[in-house]
Amino acid sequence: MTDFLRDLLALVHPDRLLHDPRADGAGVRVGVVDSGIDRATIASAHPNAAPIDGVVLTPALGPYTGVASAPHGTTVADVILTVAPAATIYSADVFGPSGTGDVAAVVAAVYHCLDAWNCQVINLSLGVTEARLQPAIRRNEFRKAIEEAYHRGVIVVAAAHNDHPLTKSYPAAFSPPLISVDKAIFADPLEVRYRPQEEVEFLGHGRGYRGPFAREPATSWAAPHVAGVAARLLSLAPDLRPFEIKALLSLMSRARGNA
Amino acid sequence: MSETILVVDDEEPVRRTIVDWLTESNLGCTVLSAGDAESALHHAQSTSIDLAILDWNLGTGVDGLQLLEDLAEFCPEIVAILVTGYASRATPLMALRKGVRDYLDKDQEFTRDKLLAAVRRQLTQIVPAKKRREMNAALSQFRADVEKVLPLVQTSAALTDPVPLPRAAAVLCAYVMSETGASHAAVVASVDGAIRAWDAAGSSLQVADVPYGRTLAGAAAGFGAPAVIDLSDSSATAGLNLHPFEQCRRSALVAPLAVAGAHGAIELFDKPGAGFGGDDKRRAAAAAAIGAELLAQALADRDANRALFAAVAAALKSSDLPGESSHHRADPATLELAEAIQGLDARHGSPAVQHCLELVRGLSRLLDDLAGR
Repeated sequence: MTDFLRDLLALVHPDRLLHDPRADGAGVRVGVVDSGIDRATIASAHPNAAPIDGVVLTPALGPYTGVASAPHGTTVADVILTVAPAATIYSADVFGPSGTGDVAAVVAAVYHCLDAWNCQVINLSLGVTEARLQPAIRRNEFRKAIEEAYHRGVIVVAAAHNDHPLTKSYPAAFSPPLISVDKAIFADPLEVRYRPQEEVEFLGHGRGYRGPFAREPATSWAAPHVAGVAARLLSLAPDLRPFEIKALLSLMSRARGNA
Repeated sequence: MSETILVVDDEEPVRRTIVDWLTESNLGCTVLSAGDAESALHHAQSTSIDLAILDWNLGTGVDGLQLLEDLAEFCPEIVAILVTGYASRATPLMALRKGVRDYLDKDQEFTRDKLLAAVRRQLTQIVPAKKRREMNAALSQFRADVEKVLPLVQTSAALTDPVPLPRAAAVLCAYVMSETGASHAAVVASVDGAIRAWDAAGSSLQVADVPYGRTLAGAAAGFGAPAVIDLSDSSATAGLNLHPFEQCRRSALVAPLAVAGAHGAIELFDKPGAGFGGDDKRRAAAAAAIGAELLAQALADRDANRALFAAVAAALKSSDLPGESSHHRADPATLELAEAIQGLDARHGSPAVQHCLELVRGLSRLLDDLAGR
């Protein structure tokens, strides 16, 4: 290892970056595109967190009343605030009362996060298989939304399928414009490991803290851990671009001794 | 089917002249002729006459108007052009009722052009009316056929229902309970927004009236894979609405059923000892794959039956539209609607007809509301 790389790794060591007292997600807006967030549950678990704003995007754009369509999104928000307690969370409910979402709602939610809330991080603990991306125009619109976020400097974190790599899931498989995340169980929930495998580049801690099935290892909980880590890094340096965040995550992974 | 014109005149030269004018003019009609009432009725017995050109004075004591009345016995839709110098003898209203639609005066300018113009005027009325009558008859026949077949179709649909969901749920529950050692099991399904649940005996379970996404099965659908939940841990059940049959359980292994157009899950409860493990998840996943297939099959059958019955209902409804008898003439717009629905069904199938029905029902509700009915 060259002296330069050694010095660089020392600078980007997780102990130095993530455990910096300023790395708490302050000033970072995180969009949670999911099943909505139960405002009361989050307020109870994170009393210092900013009140959650949001929208419901299915069956049409509607107001958020602080109630979740399903508990999944609340568990995701809880993970993000556990990792980055000062982050500001926005809820884009793409499941709605019917409990079912579609690609069009997710695409609309991504643009809402970009345009209405100016989010710096978007978490997508959801995905669809290739079949549900048909026809091709639907797939293109989805990819275009992800690329639009990338070009605007917004970090999109997407969960891989729980059966990855046996089953490919989108938008995670749209990597590299986004940070695609598979699950692992780490002693340090802030650990993010760079391990590219079948279009998915990172491993995040896959165990949640609150809500149904939170204790079950899942990519749905791994993605918000990585989103929270990204928020921590952005609270240190708000201008970091997606590729710079990726580079830092990769270097921190290496600094922990991973190849 | 081309239109048929019957020329009745006792003067052979006049009759032949009229027939020649008609046949030379390429009207596309079949032209018959008769020199007296008897021959005319003989034609009407064997052929459907659409238009009669009748001489008022047939020379045997029978006038054209009387003959028209007799012809109508065989051809109820027949109309006539009366060739006469005695128009004043028949009141226009009576003549109109009997089917006379025009008069030509033998004594004044009885020319080829005048006759053909009169005939063409009548044909423009006769052709679409005849088309409508034929459609009405076809629809009535279709309706009669469908009404005969419908009970058979319904019986057949009931007989071919492969595995009713409650029975499938019972079999699945029994299988997965024996494989995992779970104390209880249930299958939950959400179809068309309604949640239903069955236990291992196939009995229907009481469910909470809540959005599916906020149920245990709904949460599992969001998770996407078999997963275990500690139901005695309030932080684990935060945001969930448990059904009555779930509330008394301590732990659950829930395997979502991945089915397009519906949701479902197999729920296993309270395994004694160490609780549910990785092997149990794999067994539950295998059972869920079978359950998903059964649910999908049940839905497909239901959709097929629903589409079939919708098509039948639409067909019956459309056959109602033109009216039951030839005396009750339907409004042309109503007939157009019936034809449009027929075309819709032929080109786009029953879902399009179903959509059309929904629109009609919506409009009906709106108008009823506005009219205060």
